Amino acid sequence: MQKIPLMAAKVGMVLARDVFRTESANGIPICGKDTELTDSLIARLENLNIQSVYVEGHPVWSEGDRTLEETLRDLDTRFEKVRQDPLMAKVYDIYAEYLKRSMGESGGRKAE
Amino acid sequence: MDEKRNELKKIIMDTKTLPTLPGVISKLNSLSDNDKSSVQEMARIVSSDQVLSARILRLANSPSYGFYRVSTISNAMILLGVNVVKSLALSSSIFEIMEKNSVGLWEHSLGVGVASNLIATKLGLPECEEIATAGLLHDIGKVIISLKCSEAEREVRRVIGEKRVHMREAEQEVIDTDHAEVGGWLAKSWFLPDKLSEPINCHHNVAASGNHRIKTAVVHIADALIKASGFGDSGDGYVPQIQQAAWDTLKLDEQIIADLVEELEDKLVEVKNFSLELQQGVDNAATY
Repeated sequence: MQKIPLMAAKVGMVLARDVFRTESANGIPICGKDTELTDSLIARLENLNIQSVYVEGHPVWSEGDRTLEETLRDLDTRFEKVRQDPLMAKVYDIYAEYLKRSMGESGGRKAE
Repeated sequence: MDEKRNELKKIIMDTKTLPTLPGVISKLNSLSDNDKSSVQEMARIVSSDQVLSARILRLANSPSYGFYRVSTISNAMILLGVNVVKSLALSSSIFEIMEKNSVGLWEHSLGVGVASNLIATKLGLPECEEIATAGLLHDIGKVIISLKCSEAEREVRRVIGEKRVHMREAEQEVIDTDHAEVGGWLAKSWFLPDKLSEPINCHHNVAASGNHRIKTAVVHIADALIKASGFGDSGDGYVPQIQQAAWDTLKLDEQIIADLVEELEDKLVEVKNFSLELQQGVDNAATY
């Protein structure tokens, strides 16, 4: 599953979560999970000022998108100056765990 | 050795040398922040400048403030408060420069605004909008250094690359001060309230903050989390040490940080989207 800006949505993508008019998830969804996106549906979501949607898989690769391994290496580099501090080591672990969870089996691209 | 620092401070405090600000700014500063008729007058003055109004409303509708549907300056003042609107007015020209010349820094600043709001909300702190504004403004000193000391800025970047240090260490070496202090001078020269100027000045040195340590601690943590995320480009690629003073002030623990990371990464998609839309606007404007 991937959260993408609506402007990156394309025909054929499948919603992975219901779309609501507001940030809060109470109320009736505009559009349900598992709906396949069409031109007219995307246009309607744009008119309703929906900013982002969750879609199945990981269809959008922005320039510079990374594999999980590459992302974790980048994380190592960002933390290199503070990793030895116990508190920052915990913060690093929190980020690494988040990345593994969100880029794991269903969300990440496999290394070649 | 304070020569460079003093010279820079003189430049900052002489507001005539700063990026051209709309003529309404001096009028705004002459009005009381508390008097009801002054607030109405302030809204009228700002609204009469269409370019400034458009800039403020765009910032007011940025992800830093939780997606308010703010359509008028009066609404912005009601929803965000007078201090926030005044701050956005004063800093709007700097954000204009960031958007055009330093997209990475602009994204970083938006990200810290969002993270600051998220932290403040999660911890149940008052004045979330002011805290978000302080987050949004925290690195304005970098823009000023770039504008006023372009040679020094190049040297700072060389030192960062060569010695692999945090930006403020390189700044201290090259200009005897750092972007946080410079940003603090700027905030004071604009007569921003301490609740905003202090987090800007002390976002890398929480223990030095005085009356607004909580707000300062929030911006400090927000900055670290956005750097950890890799969102935007603040000038160096390194996560700063989270200071014990910030951790203790906010009574944080690992679970709170883990929850914040989860929510923040979710929010950053919106921030990227907002930034892309602005970039499209800039590109379109450039073709006219």
